[in-house]
Amino acid sequence: MFEVVEAILSSTLEYYPALVFAALGATLSERSGVTNVGIEGMMRTGAFCAAVASITMPTPLGVCVGMLAGAGMAAIHGALSIHWRADQVVSGMALNLVALAGGTYLLEALYGPNGTPSIQQLSRWHVPGLAEVPLLRAFSGHSALTWLALVLPVVFHGIIYHTPWGLRLRAVGEKPHAVATLGLSVPGLRWMAVLGGGMLAGLGGASLSTAVLDRFEQHTPSGLGYMALAATVFGRWTPLGALLAGLFFAAGSALRIGLASSAPGLMTIIPQGFLLALPYLLTLVLLAVQGRRTHAPAALGVPYQQESR
Amino acid sequence: MGERARAILPSVFSVFLALALCWVFIALTRDTQVASEAYLQMLRGGVGDWGAYLDGGRITLLTRPWGEAAIKAALLLLTGLSVAVAFKVGLFNIGAQGQMLLGALAAAVVGAQVQLPSALHVVAALLAAGVAGAFWALIAAWLKLVRGVHEVISTIMLNWVAVSLVDNWLVVGPLRAGAGTAVNITGTAEIQASAQLPRLLGEMSRLHLGFPLALAVALVLWVWLARLRTGFETRAVGLGPEAARAAGIPVTRRTAEAMGLAGALAGLAGAVLVLGTEMRYPGTLGAPYGFDGIAISLIGNNHPLGVTLSAVFFGILRAGGTRMQLLGVHKSYPELIQGLALLFVAGRQVWLALLAARRRPPPAPAEPQPAPETAAPPAQRPEVPRV
Repeated sequence: MFEVVEAILSSTLEYYPALVFAALGATLSERSGVTNVGIEGMMRTGAFCAAVASITMPTPLGVCVGMLAGAGMAAIHGALSIHWRADQVVSGMALNLVALAGGTYLLEALYGPNGTPSIQQLSRWHVPGLAEVPLLRAFSGHSALTWLALVLPVVFHGIIYHTPWGLRLRAVGEKPHAVATLGLSVPGLRWMAVLGGGMLAGLGGASLSTAVLDRFEQHTPSGLGYMALAATVFGRWTPLGALLAGLFFAAGSALRIGLASSAPGLMTIIPQGFLLALPYLLTLVLLAVQGRRTHAPAALGVPYQQESR
Repeated sequence: MGERARAILPSVFSVFLALALCWVFIALTRDTQVASEAYLQMLRGGVGDWGAYLDGGRITLLTRPWGEAAIKAALLLLTGLSVAVAFKVGLFNIGAQGQMLLGALAAAVVGAQVQLPSALHVVAALLAAGVAGAFWALIAAWLKLVRGVHEVISTIMLNWVAVSLVDNWLVVGPLRAGAGTAVNITGTAEIQASAQLPRLLGEMSRLHLGFPLALAVALVLWVWLARLRTGFETRAVGLGPEAARAAGIPVTRRTAEAMGLAGALAGLAGAVLVLGTEMRYPGTLGAPYGFDGIAISLIGNNHPLGVTLSAVFFGILRAGGTRMQLLGVHKSYPELIQGLALLFVAGRQVWLALLAARRRPPPAPAEPQPAPETAAPPAQRPEVPRV
């Protein structure tokens, strides 16, 4: 029994950083009023670039390259949606498609269809003492990103709710014109949020290719970006909500992996498809229950025009 | 610039820019000759090898590629129309993939399990697919209209639910061909001959009824949106739900109808895939057709005729893309072209600004972005046109 719970817990801790970083990125961007459907594409770019960079440089530096790549994709999104007032969902979907096709092409052109060569994984932290305790030993042997993903949402909570910049960020997503009246730059604030969000999404992708795996593969984010998007909504556009929602979704995926590895008998009774569908079904049910009480930023998805009122 | 030119030109330029950019990519990774040859192969694979045919080749040199392009175009067109119809009421249907999956499954089940005379059987399978797709889309519509869940999130979730339940359970479990026996085939049982979409050119090509069917659907949608009252009301809801409600249009009802119709169209795409080419529900659908639909719809400016043009164009590229592999150029290039074209279409305002800047008497900068304190006095600085 302990082994099953341990396997599920360990698998959850393996996957949740990617979801939490990406959901945090989406939260940041959407709090400023810019819808970010392109998270999946930014994750994919980040994962790819981090893996490629890590071939020639130390892996932590590679992760930074992945973050910059995510920000690069976010810059395209920012240019289109902030500067040129494009439809934000369209721009985001376009990024996803470009990242999907472009990533597939580059991967096969440079390394062949089986993925990049394997790289040095981020070093895993073995917490002394913890490895002997049953159940708690699941917390040992993860990369630093696992711990960062626990801390970062708290830091962002502090920034968003307890600093002047956070107040401006929240205001720009609710009433951009009021922010402009104060002499602050609406595009400037949004640019910061979108680029920061892209970096976080890139970090989420990089965590997949450098901590969970040791390479970039064809299917690396495989929809985790879209899941992170749901986690953002489910977490009500708050950093701590993103953390909890990310943990919840990761646990949902881990349930299947854990059960398959430790209780194969059960898998013959419950079809695997049910377990796979469970996190998504639960999300739908919970969103339906949450209903209209969701607190989407009022100006979300509305391109800002100084003279529109 | 006329209204129509404003609608069409950005898409056309975007497609050409994407084509040019991808040519440069191939030229950079290989060389210019390979790049040109690859594009030529892509064209030959899509519209036929005219050179070889005129040299005394057989007609199949033309009909085979046509068939392949038409098969691809039919799927792109139906999913594209699905996304476009939802757009008309202001909904973003990211769920075409899931709706198509359920439609394909319904068509495969009806095609294999039901006994009917030929023409009826095809119609029954198509209907079942449409209903299944509509059902899946209406869940998202209900969540949106009654519970206020944003359709982008709900349709993404529904996609995953559909993939999990169908690909990872039904198709490998209860509905697997020879379920309960030791036979190990991926996918469902093969559909009966009476449920197959008839081939139009016999053995000369894989071209089947799906393509003319998709074209007819596009035509009907165009007439409906442009000429009929309910079509007009649907568009009115998309342009401004508040104004539409004030004008006495049943906004909720029109929204639900449009979303159901979007799902039915995506479901139909699934049926065309199963009844026309796959002849069973395969292990997985293989390609993200639903996401292609988003690109096709947006490049076609969400207009039924624009979507048709864009679907046929990218159908040709897709069919020809497989032939680029002969040169060692990756087969995903057509998808990259499609993705880049969508990205450039998203920058519609950039194109419009460029086009407008060209028509101003004084030569405006290429990026008409008001620079702070240039030599020109502020009054004469070219303004970014507000559209």
